[in-house]
Amino acid sequence: MKNFSDIQIGNTIGPREQFVSKDECRAFAHSSGFAAPRFTDDEGARKEGLPGMILPGNMSLGLLSKFVTDWIGPEGGAQLVRISTTYRVPVQPDHTLVFQGFVTHSVPEERTAEIDVWIENEEAERLVTGTATVRFDK
Amino acid sequence: MSTTLDLHSHSDASEDSRAPVEAYLNWIKLRRAELPLDGIVLTEHRQFNREADYRPLEDKFGVMVLRASEVETNYGHMLVFGVNDDILARFDFANIRLDAQTLIDEVAKMGGLVVPCHPGRPNIGLCEHYETQPPLGNVVAVEVLNGGSRKGEDERSIELVRRYGYRAVGGSDSHLVSLIGLCATRFDADIRSIDGLVAQLRSGEYQPVDFRPRRKPVPHAVAVETR
Repeated sequence: MKNFSDIQIGNTIGPREQFVSKDECRAFAHSSGFAAPRFTDDEGARKEGLPGMILPGNMSLGLLSKFVTDWIGPEGGAQLVRISTTYRVPVQPDHTLVFQGFVTHSVPEERTAEIDVWIENEEAERLVTGTATVRFDK
Repeated sequence: MSTTLDLHSHSDASEDSRAPVEAYLNWIKLRRAELPLDGIVLTEHRQFNREADYRPLEDKFGVMVLRASEVETNYGHMLVFGVNDDILARFDFANIRLDAQTLIDEVAKMGGLVVPCHPGRPNIGLCEHYETQPPLGNVVAVEVLNGGSRKGEDERSIELVRRYGYRAVGGSDSHLVSLIGLCATRFDADIRSIDGLVAQLRSGEYQPVDFRPRRKPVPHAVAVETR
């Protein structure tokens, strides 16, 4: 279980590599009601000027959120209370995504830590960046 | 004595950043070995906070904090250094259609300096605007290293500098604490104020510096599609 006192500014989270397939992208798009061609079909995406299928923004957000909650761990002791993201470059499926983060500051009175998180592609280009707030029970 | 400054950063005063100034300075202090910065310049979007006083934080962390602005023009985004009451009276920084040539010329007359930022970026960079409009006059320097650049953007900026003879600076364009200082500008001179910075940008010796860590590429996986 993670405690606030264990948190140090500069702690790293990850890196974690995760391959995201087109099948997973389609499954997310269909299950979440975002089944637009750009999320399900390469040809449809190209017709919209994209290089091919892309992940819905909410899927990237979900993957980043899971990256943080996996860091918190199954024993709990803390909650992800807020995450904000900036979508810099479309995230394409059938690629290995690299998730990373840094604890950048903390607020002792609130027992919260702010964590920079981001997704990179294979060539280390940052695709999605974000800031997560984690609140600790003790 | 030289001075290394991150000339382009956004704190939580900008609508698209959640980074407190104190967290930036603490990060620089903790990472001195990788980020040998003497200071940062806050360039909040479309605003200038003339009341802000960062002296207590400067003393606490030993990092200088200067203030400028990032504004939007008909030639893309530009950093305005040396903002003063005359400049603020003349220009509405919230206007996203400022005339770039007027801004460059009049800010210079009023003691400041305008530096186009991330010129290689689509839509909001100088390079793309130079394809459809004549080159601007009186440009002293442009930002050729930007911490937020995508692949190819800095290269386009470097080509712009070669072609037009502009001087080159660097800035992180940080919106996240951990990205502060990854690109910066090293000046030969000792700089202690925004006026000193403007004077050096006009006629001093300086070059962009790159502190971005390089991660090894991850091999591409072989995709198997069931559909």
